[in-house]
Amino acid sequence: MWSILSVAAALFAAAVSAVSTSGNRLLVVLDDVAEKEAYGQFLGDLTARGFQVSYETPRSEGLTLFHLGERTYDHLLFLPSKVKGLGPNLTPNRLVDFVNANGNILVALSSTVPASTSLVSLLSELDISLPVERTGTVVDHFNYDTISAAESHDVLVLDAPSSIRPGLKPYFELPGGVLAFPHAVGHVLGSGPLLTPIVRAPATAYSYNPKEQAEVLDADELFAAGQQLALVSVMQARNSARVTVLGSAEMLQDKWLDAEVAKLGGKSTKTENKEFARRVAGWTFQEIGVLRVNSVEHHLQGSEELNPGIYRVKNDVSYTISLSEYVWDKWVPFVLPEDDLLQLEFSMLSPFHRLNLELKGTTDDAAIYGVSFTLPDQHGIFNFMVNYKRSFLTNVEEKNTVSVRHFAHDEWPRSFVISGAWPWISGIGATVTGFLGFCAIWMYSKPVGKKN
Amino acid sequence: MPAKKNAAQPAPSAAATTQSSTTAAGSVPASAPAAAPSAKNSPANWDKVLQNIYQYYMKETPQRTKLIDVFLVFIAVVGALQFLYCILAGNYPFNAFLSGFGATVGQFVLTISLRIQTTAANKSEFPEISPERAFADYVVCSLILHFFCVNFIN
Repeated sequence: MWSILSVAAALFAAAVSAVSTSGNRLLVVLDDVAEKEAYGQFLGDLTARGFQVSYETPRSEGLTLFHLGERTYDHLLFLPSKVKGLGPNLTPNRLVDFVNANGNILVALSSTVPASTSLVSLLSELDISLPVERTGTVVDHFNYDTISAAESHDVLVLDAPSSIRPGLKPYFELPGGVLAFPHAVGHVLGSGPLLTPIVRAPATAYSYNPKEQAEVLDADELFAAGQQLALVSVMQARNSARVTVLGSAEMLQDKWLDAEVAKLGGKSTKTENKEFARRVAGWTFQEIGVLRVNSVEHHLQGSEELNPGIYRVKNDVSYTISLSEYVWDKWVPFVLPEDDLLQLEFSMLSPFHRLNLELKGTTDDAAIYGVSFTLPDQHGIFNFMVNYKRSFLTNVEEKNTVSVRHFAHDEWPRSFVISGAWPWISGIGATVTGFLGFCAIWMYSKPVGKKN
Repeated sequence: MPAKKNAAQPAPSAAATTQSSTTAAGSVPASAPAAAPSAKNSPANWDKVLQNIYQYYMKETPQRTKLIDVFLVFIAVVGALQFLYCILAGNYPFNAFLSGFGATVGQFVLTISLRIQTTAANKSEFPEISPERAFADYVVCSLILHFFCVNFIN
């Protein structure tokens, strides 16, 4: 009954917003509200997908991220702003609080405008470092756009990203497409496990400060070069809130969404910027890559009772978990990425079993993964634990606690059932029979005393 | 103490086993004085000794004590077989081995106690325990032992 109600409530909520799983209030922070015209297509696409877009400048008096302790927006989009700091309402602390309260942030940077100190501090908090002096542009003398930047080489034309490593969902892969990164700011990622680069600069790219290093770039002063320079990176916090850094805000502008670009010595092609921007924004604002655990069921094999609180050691137990994935506007069955496994741990402090869950079946909106196994010969308080934390996917951490008791006194097999015990049973039989015979003869015999 | 007393008077009419061994050993040189010096460690001599012991035991041991000894041998054999099986075939299920083997050990100990208490020579040690009382104790303790063993073998 409760599950029907909650499904109905979820359906109702989905019908109302039909957009992101974490709300549809989007705040766009830009220098001048008039600037939004340049991003008309991108922002119009967001509105069409159901977001309520508000526009504010950092100078705005009424701008506040929290009201009475609750978030007033679900998502933030920072477009380049000339303001040095973003004011008292958008301090790095506030932004971190916003992320801690499950808010998502998309930061778009541009090399034409120095990044705000507030954003630089927020990103360094996440172990993402920007060039010193808050400015720096990425150039590549081999992968530039010959149409728009034949001289300055600061419009990069790159192949659309392929898989960073195996076992990831292909959300950002656009096979065969090219992306244009005009006036990009590169950043360097720390070694944190929550960070994932999506687009790295090619090996021949480097970052320099056009104001100070226009003439000569000393190797000691180089911020970063080659693959260590990331252009688009994502960070997913432990609470599944998302922060994305987009090195080039201009790639979201209308004129770059499907601009004609040409690689050095190549033909002019259309960029895939529009689709890429849609995916980056969609991922950041939790429209894709969101997992939902519908139900967790475990039961004793051969028993009807669902999710009992207690098992016995060496019981045969079946476990199933139902997972859905949100794809733009609907829940679909979650299919594991290739080369990845969903695992169940049966653990008491440390796992006694770590088993691969197998796809048992799918419904319209859910995939059911399950495994059957024999409980370990150890009693105590155990957890059925599914701990599935992957880049690009919201964290799944499902813990169901059960007691595992030892054998009851009458649950052991009787000795006569075990053929190995028969010699000892007959040993007792022989002893008892011998005793009875001995007693009978003893009582029949003449006592010693009478002999005399 | 009793052994010394027995050695002083070599041929008591109501002899029991403790006496029998000492007196039998003492009687060997007396019965065969000629054979002893000529062939000291010959097999025939040992044969003679064993035969003597056997004859003395058959003649002087009361019938009930002999019955106890037969039962003791039977229990020892049953116990040894069970232990041998445990060594050869493994001790699973261990509780069955423990109760089966324990039954023979316990029964052996109780029977030995009965033998000690009913031997006429030990009368002075247990002045207030009659053979009937000893047998009743023995039966009760044995029944308790069997109950525990059967319960434990499950």
